Amino acid sequence: MAADRIRRFTERFLTAHGCHFIEKSPNHLITQLSIEADKDLVHRPFYWMYVEKMGIEPQPSILTFVFDPQELDQHDRGECLNPGSPRFLTMLEAAKKRGRFVRLFEESARPVGNPLSSRPYIPWLGVNFQVSYVCDQKKDVIHCLGINLHSGEIMEDFFREMKRRRWNAKLPANRHTIQPQLRIAEGVGELERFLQTQIERQDMTWAKQALKRMRIELEQLEHFFPEGENNAEKEQRIRETIWQYHPRVEVEVINAGLFYLEAL
Amino acid sequence: MQSVPIRMDRKWLGPFQERVESDTGWSTWEWFQLAVEAAEAQVVPDFDTLQCLNTLTGFTPLPHQTATVRRVINEMNGRAILADEVGLGKTIEAGMILKEYLLRGLVKKALILVPSSLVLQWTRELNQKFQLPAMAHKQSWMWEQCDILVASIDTAKREPHREKVLSQTYDLLIVDEAHKLKNRRTKNWQLVNRIRKKYCLLLTATPLQNQLTELFNLVTLLKPGHFGQEAHFQNEYMAGKRMPKNEERLREEVRRVMIRNRRSDGHVPLTKRHVTTIPIALSPEERALYDGVTQFVRDRSCQEAGDLKSALSLIVLQREVCSSRDAAFLTLFKMFQRSEQDEGEISPEVTHLVNLLRAVKRQSKVERAIQLFKEIDEKVILFTEYRATQDMILRSLAAEGIPAVPYRGGFARNKKDWMMELFQKRAQVMVATEAGGEGINLQFCRHIINYDMPWNPMRVEQRIGRVHRLGQTRDVHIYNFATENTIEEHIIWLLQEKINMFEMVIGELETILEQLQMKDNLEQRLMQIVLESEDDREIRARLADIGENIRETREKILAETEHRERWIHGG
Repeated sequence: MAADRIRRFTERFLTAHGCHFIEKSPNHLITQLSIEADKDLVHRPFYWMYVEKMGIEPQPSILTFVFDPQELDQHDRGECLNPGSPRFLTMLEAAKKRGRFVRLFEESARPVGNPLSSRPYIPWLGVNFQVSYVCDQKKDVIHCLGINLHSGEIMEDFFREMKRRRWNAKLPANRHTIQPQLRIAEGVGELERFLQTQIERQDMTWAKQALKRMRIELEQLEHFFPEGENNAEKEQRIRETIWQYHPRVEVEVINAGLFYLEAL
Repeated sequence: MQSVPIRMDRKWLGPFQERVESDTGWSTWEWFQLAVEAAEAQVVPDFDTLQCLNTLTGFTPLPHQTATVRRVINEMNGRAILADEVGLGKTIEAGMILKEYLLRGLVKKALILVPSSLVLQWTRELNQKFQLPAMAHKQSWMWEQCDILVASIDTAKREPHREKVLSQTYDLLIVDEAHKLKNRRTKNWQLVNRIRKKYCLLLTATPLQNQLTELFNLVTLLKPGHFGQEAHFQNEYMAGKRMPKNEERLREEVRRVMIRNRRSDGHVPLTKRHVTTIPIALSPEERALYDGVTQFVRDRSCQEAGDLKSALSLIVLQREVCSSRDAAFLTLFKMFQRSEQDEGEISPEVTHLVNLLRAVKRQSKVERAIQLFKEIDEKVILFTEYRATQDMILRSLAAEGIPAVPYRGGFARNKKDWMMELFQKRAQVMVATEAGGEGINLQFCRHIINYDMPWNPMRVEQRIGRVHRLGQTRDVHIYNFATENTIEEHIIWLLQEKINMFEMVIGELETILEQLQMKDNLEQRLMQIVLESEDDREIRARLADIGENIRETREKILAETEHRERWIHGG
């Protein structure tokens, strides 16, 4: 992640948390954290337990983030945020925890004609999957899929499509949702099946090579340790070799949501 | 090919359905988007592009270090011997590999086993250079609780720790100074062999010191069976204990598990050293004091013949007087106190010395130092062996208005850091009594004054190593102060003319002294020579012998190394 993206992410994170900005520049931010942000970013659970138990006025921290390492010594108690800095990693984890599940209604540009009539929304289930291809190495691919719970239609890149629309947290007046044909669990099942087909279509050279490396090393172990003996050392090495190499695909769900859309 | 297992995460579905049913606990659209962006930021887009490179701040890895990290991860599958020569940054390579695996989510729990003297240094490097939450092992619960733990191998191999270590599984195990693992019968070797680990890095500058089986044992820790069984290895690759055969093939096999970067490969742009001896002529008063002390040492050591220890402490007095009046004064004062207790009166000899000491008003050495600071007009680090000298120099500098900071081994960690920062930002001079130990890196400074010379050359090397190391971008100047016609002059002559120690690369001296079994007692032997010799000529002759001995050993080691490197590298 480049410095300017980190800067934008940080500012949005703090804003979403209701933090107050004391200073802002392209290369730094000084912020008075909100209580929730402090709990997310400054690891001090005992302080919060104490404050809450004793009913004391809480004092959330003031943090100075610097995005250009060259400018670090221009700021008192500044800390540099880069893709590997602990605070930034904490921020990423906190964002993932806070943005798990949504249910949203699309905001419509079209006014409702007749105040006594009601227009329907179509329910979509959106799930963002992170697919990790793992052996002794690893790579990840994110798949943002969506399924129309009424028709069963599946859309790839669903999240990008959703980002182009505007959203309401509450069902607006004169609107209603249609009863889905698919239950949520069924929708998820459909998405998983779709994803699995996609995964199986991938180039699996990496897995073949990992298996080959594993086999060679397991053979070496057979030759190295005396035959037939029940050897704990050999057992351990076999387990380690499999642990190191065995290829597998691990799918995690980043987050998911119910999206009520205007007819597409 | 059998199909690759796919594991679907379903843990989220329950909580999601609960929210649908209760219609509460929803997040906002903004947080939802931030969560996806956070996941995107942590994605590893392909198998082999290094992620750690743009997370490093404060230093840029050298090309050979980055290449090493790539090879370990992409070609050696995370099990490797890192055998760079001393000073090429094995720690940095290991730190980058650890960081890379953590960023990729392939390592969560890591153990770093090092000699106990290096535990804090490793922890600090991982904290500061790599921003990793590494902890130094102090208490027993840490084996289980800490994800990145640095511990002494000597602790780990003892019960009750050993049992705890063996009950864990480590995604990555790093062992520093891994040449201590060359014998399969040692506790070290057996411990490392039994630790459950996925990836493993063994760090050593000398993967092979004597016998070829050492290499076999090291590789067996990483990949048992890589060379086949031991008998097979001996038949295939060993012509004798130290003589390889089928070198070409052996070299290939070794290269698959070991990386060795060498200085001569031109990886390291180490700058030049310029060494200057600065002769210091004593004033008549200082000369009288030095001669008086020398006479005193001679007389006393005759009286105390047989008691080597107290005789050696007299030599210390002689060395101190070369450093400063103040350093000698302290020792004399202690003798004076002792004699008072024993006899109730001060011996006339001590009184005489104290009078000579009083007569010294100006000190030639410190005057020369101040003159030199003004000439250099850049940052200078000055080393002395004695606290009293350090205080005196600081006072003299203050009187001259030259900003200076002290540095001592006894300072607390944060005071050390603070002094280094002051030196970098505000002061011209750092006056230090200690060079060893961890964490004092002064690459921003390029002038070293050896105000007095340690008789243990390893300590001289440590002093130079603070400044002349990776990251130093300019030539380094070393100034050795030598008081004329004193024992100090002999020692500098030995170090500079006979041993050429200022031209040695870091680490070379240690190997030589180890081989000569002089690593721990050279200083004492030098003192004994001074004590036992009748006159200066004899001192010179005997020092020359030692020098010759070291020189020969150095050549022998260089030749052996040359030969070994040739078959390992084919160079």
